[in-house]
Amino acid sequence: MNETIYPDRARIDALEKVLGRTRFAADIPLPRITHAMTVPSRIVRGRLAAIDIGAARAVDGVLAVLTWRDFTNAQSAGYLMGGGFGFQSHQPMLSDRLVHRGEPIALVVAETLEIAIEAAALVDARYEEEPFAALLEDERAEILAPQAGHAMGDAQAMLASAAFRVDAEYLSPAQYQNPMEMIATVAEWRDGTLTIHEGTQNSSAVKFGVAAALGLDSARVRVKSAYLGGGFGQKNSLQGQTVLAARAAILLGRPVKLVMPRAQLYHTASFRPASRHRIQLGADADGRIVAASYEADMQNSRADTFRASFSEITARLYSIPNYSSTARLVRTDVQSPGYMRAPFEHPAAFAFESAVDELAYATGRDPLAFRLNNDAETDPVTGDPFSSRFLAECLRTGADRFGWSERNPAPGSMRADDGTMIGWGVAVGAYKAAMAPAIARLRVRADGTTLLSVSGHEMGQGIRTAIFAALTEGLEIDPARIEIVIGDPDAAPQHLTAGSWGTASSVPVVRRAVETMQARFDALRDGRSVHGSIHQMLALWRRPYIEVETRLQAPGQPDAVFDRLQRGLPAAGGPEYKPFVSFSYIAHFVEVRVEPTTRRIRVLRVVSIVDCGRVVSPRTAESQVRGGVVWGIGAALRETAEIDPRFGGVLNNDLAEYVLPVNADIGAIEVGFIDQPDPMLNEAGVKGLGEVAMVGVAAAIGNAIFHATGRRLRQLPMRIEHLI
Amino acid sequence: MQTFTYSRARSINELRAVQAATGDRILAGGTTLYDLMKLRIETPDRLVDVTGIAGLDEIISHPDELVFGALVTMSDAAAHPAVLQRAPVLAEALSKAASQQLRNMATLGGNLLQRTRCAYFRNGTEYPCNKRTPGSGCAALEGLDRGHALFGGSGSCIAVYPGDWAVALVALDAVVDVRGSRGTHTIDVASLHRLPGDTPHVETVLEPDEMILNIRVPVGRLAQASTYHKIRDRESYAFALVSAAVALELEEGFVRQARIALGGVATRPWRVPAAEAGLTGRRLDRATALEVGRMTFADARPGRHNGFKIALGAEAVADALMIAAQRSENR
Ligand SMILES: Cc1cc2nc3c(=O)[nH]c(=O)nc-3n(C[C@H](O)[C@H](O)[C@H](O)COP(=O)(O)OP(=O)(O)OC[C@H]3O[C@@H](n4cnc5c(N)ncnc54)[C@H](O)[C@@H]3O)c2cc1C
Ligand code: SF4
Repeated sequence: MNETIYPDRARIDALEKVLGRTRFAADIPLPRITHAMTVPSRIVRGRLAAIDIGAARAVDGVLAVLTWRDFTNAQSAGYLMGGGFGFQSHQPMLSDRLVHRGEPIALVVAETLEIAIEAAALVDARYEEEPFAALLEDERAEILAPQAGHAMGDAQAMLASAAFRVDAEYLSPAQYQNPMEMIATVAEWRDGTLTIHEGTQNSSAVKFGVAAALGLDSARVRVKSAYLGGGFGQKNSLQGQTVLAARAAILLGRPVKLVMPRAQLYHTASFRPASRHRIQLGADADGRIVAASYEADMQNSRADTFRASFSEITARLYSIPNYSSTARLVRTDVQSPGYMRAPFEHPAAFAFESAVDELAYATGRDPLAFRLNNDAETDPVTGDPFSSRFLAECLRTGADRFGWSERNPAPGSMRADDGTMIGWGVAVGAYKAAMAPAIARLRVRADGTTLLSVSGHEMGQGIRTAIFAALTEGLEIDPARIEIVIGDPDAAPQHLTAGSWGTASSVPVVRRAVETMQARFDALRDGRSVHGSIHQMLALWRRPYIEVETRLQAPGQPDAVFDRLQRGLPAAGGPEYKPFVSFSYIAHFVEVRVEPTTRRIRVLRVVSIVDCGRVVSPRTAESQVRGGVVWGIGAALRETAEIDPRFGGVLNNDLAEYVLPVNADIGAIEVGFIDQPDPMLNEAGVKGLGEVAMVGVAAAIGNAIFHATGRRLRQLPMRIEHLI
Repeated sequence: MQTFTYSRARSINELRAVQAATGDRILAGGTTLYDLMKLRIETPDRLVDVTGIAGLDEIISHPDELVFGALVTMSDAAAHPAVLQRAPVLAEALSKAASQQLRNMATLGGNLLQRTRCAYFRNGTEYPCNKRTPGSGCAALEGLDRGHALFGGSGSCIAVYPGDWAVALVALDAVVDVRGSRGTHTIDVASLHRLPGDTPHVETVLEPDEMILNIRVPVGRLAQASTYHKIRDRESYAFALVSAAVALELEEGFVRQARIALGGVATRPWRVPAAEAGLTGRRLDRATALEVGRMTFADARPGRHNGFKIALGAEAVADALMIAAQRSENR
């Protein structure tokens, strides 16, 4: 069991980053590099009847203009969730068929970016348009048969006889990740080897996916993903643009750089789909939730099946004996939606935790006491124990720090001196504690250096810092001369870093490598008492280095998962590990202020207390939570896509018009950790953090708005027009 | 972005000569013009950068007038002590606009000539838009019009004039001095922008070769008791959902003179004389302020998604009046 308490330490790449020295993919300097620009389709659905590249080709400095005719030997690398590698199965530019607005119809490659942009605008196309569905509620959208989610007991019967009931519908709009770093691919073809530099959360999927798409031997495709300027799930698989840039690099014999412009990213990469949630809850006279029913509709593309799983957490937030859930996928003509931070958990917690608040009021109970009264001790779904669950502690600690006992429960009862309406709200969140198989290779050298290669991608969340902490807590090595290689499938097999399993996968395997290294060193030492670092001893004993390789998978996973890992396929396990179930938990307490006249809503302060198991890197962990809360505020009050059903596509496709929160929107955010290691999940005691951080924030804000105003807002984002 | 020729003018005469010879388009901070060129909405072949012209980057505070050179940046004007003290509505309109980075680049002259943020206008020629492609129709009329006009729209265009500074200027009866082939003349800011009518692509009364040299604002008691109240979708870096520029002259609690102009809800900066008259002579309290706020929106013509701005705007005007009244008392 891990009793290590990790000290506060700065992010190891912080200095490099603030000095602007960190090299992201688009910064890689390569001789004779060329610049590419895509030409987006101007229709939603139909056929590219004709394309004229003459004017573009004629621009001085243009090297090539590729269309689908240049990709006749290429194929789709398949859909990530269907055994393939791509964020969607539709690879643009394989034929004249067009399936969503903005997909590339041509790729211009030129000596400079400016020339590429100019020439791209000169590509002329003629389309044959077909009718389409842009929105969840569109008539032409195809609603599939409901899929069953979790089911326990008899929810409908118990709802019918419940003393208190809530039946309400909640809406969550399409949202876009908008990482600061746009998706950037640099492709280089040299001596029969293709090298791709791209900030991706899944370098192996890019490697095997590009190989599959272009018919290359995967051994001759190298992928480097050293840093991402944010991923949030948008960079979790092979992008269509990567195949385009790679093909261009092969045809031209020169490196090709393609940085997708932000406006196009709203149509060429994944997003959070729009969803609709009908929640029915019933409570008995003692304020115990006796039944819950959850029916959801979620937007999908035409071709792929991105399954909804809104019940994974909502079936377990409380001890609800009778629970049923179904979800219907709704096919529309968009690119495939995907895993945007807390993909299901954020909208699910908004809906469910709003409904729980409504139920608490219906029973006349304090929303905090109501939640504590319904806490679960064992997993209601499987009946198995939780590996660790400190949700009640999160609630109690948060309530203390927030000052919840001062709250007047009556809606509209708390006012500031100037008449401003004050609202205090609470909501909880959970996220599965998953683990992925990982392999670590650790080499400590006599010359004072250390090389660690391990699975993991640095999205800015601080995984390098966590790995560094695990490495240096356990070994006497020179901390200034450690090289950590991640995001490189040729250094160590790479698993998709997502689903908050990054640290929980990399850190335990590194700890195991550290222990194995220590054992090897002890064996070499053979009882001799020695002074100095491992490096010094190796030098003394004239051994150039010791190397160890360790592997680790999720509890209960068979060794066959390493085969999936080697092939770049998703292989994460959890949250159900026979015989236990693992989740991370959070409780958010929010104070909103609503202006009595114009009804502007401001989030004055948030207190968020997290149970994510052992905290390995306190500083980066805290900033993960702050970032998650900011995401929650954005999702609750700001972000939405403006989509005109007559045209499809996102109209507010830039950072001026897609309203993300700005500094001035954010008040105080206080973060606390329970910091109790999870005894069962892994030796490091680590659960996940990045996603749970935002789960429940939107509900806490909505609940606070209700407390301030007496108005229950059931649609995101909650905006001024809903209160005026 | 298409290739263009760039030159710099160091004096008005040089500018005049370049424009006479090759008809170059004026470039100031570039925050509007370059943006629209990247979107291929504007496609000038030749640009002449006027930011090097001497003498147009100063603010002069006369006893009854503030004179702003057209090349003063938004950030400099917003922080200028005389502006903050003598006409807070101007400083606030500037400091609540755009972002600090944009304000550092953007000029006061260029600001007046920014163009609408209508998404159909900005997103490409596949969207019908009479302003971008005359005669193609208007996608906003039956579309997403949350950001569109309640005042001044036509059957051809309902795009909002998005700027804040011009709204504040109109409230204070400001004028601009203009120089071009028609010689030097002065135009009220209130008549600088046109209503869309049947020709929404013609936005101002300026000739293509005319340059704004100065912006002159009469200042006195009225300007001092003024404010720019801007309601937006986030607390910074957003255009107005609705904004109110107001100025008041109070005498023992009674309104002697009032100015009310609206932003974010009209096709050009929108003065509301009827509401100003409705307030004159009355004792100002919150109830009266709200009544006048409602009067301000009496003629509003909402579309499908912007009707909430009638109630919101009335409250914003009322709040603005109360802030201005406070400033009047504090003097
Ligand atoms: C993301 C974003 C957000 C913004 N938010 C806001 C906001 O909230 N509120 C707001 O008010 N504004 C906002 N703006 C607009 C911004 O204030 C204007 O872009 C800026 O003021 C224009 O000034 P400029 O000097 O850069 O003009 P330029 O881009 O150089 O020129 C704009 C136009 O004016 C012409 N021109 C420039 N100077 C003169 C002159 N002296 N005489 C005659 N013609 C001239 C040019 O030919 C061009 O047509 C925003 C802009 C952006 C890009
Ligand atoms: S409102 Fe005006 S700018 Fe917008 S689409 Fe219509 S015509 Fe174009």
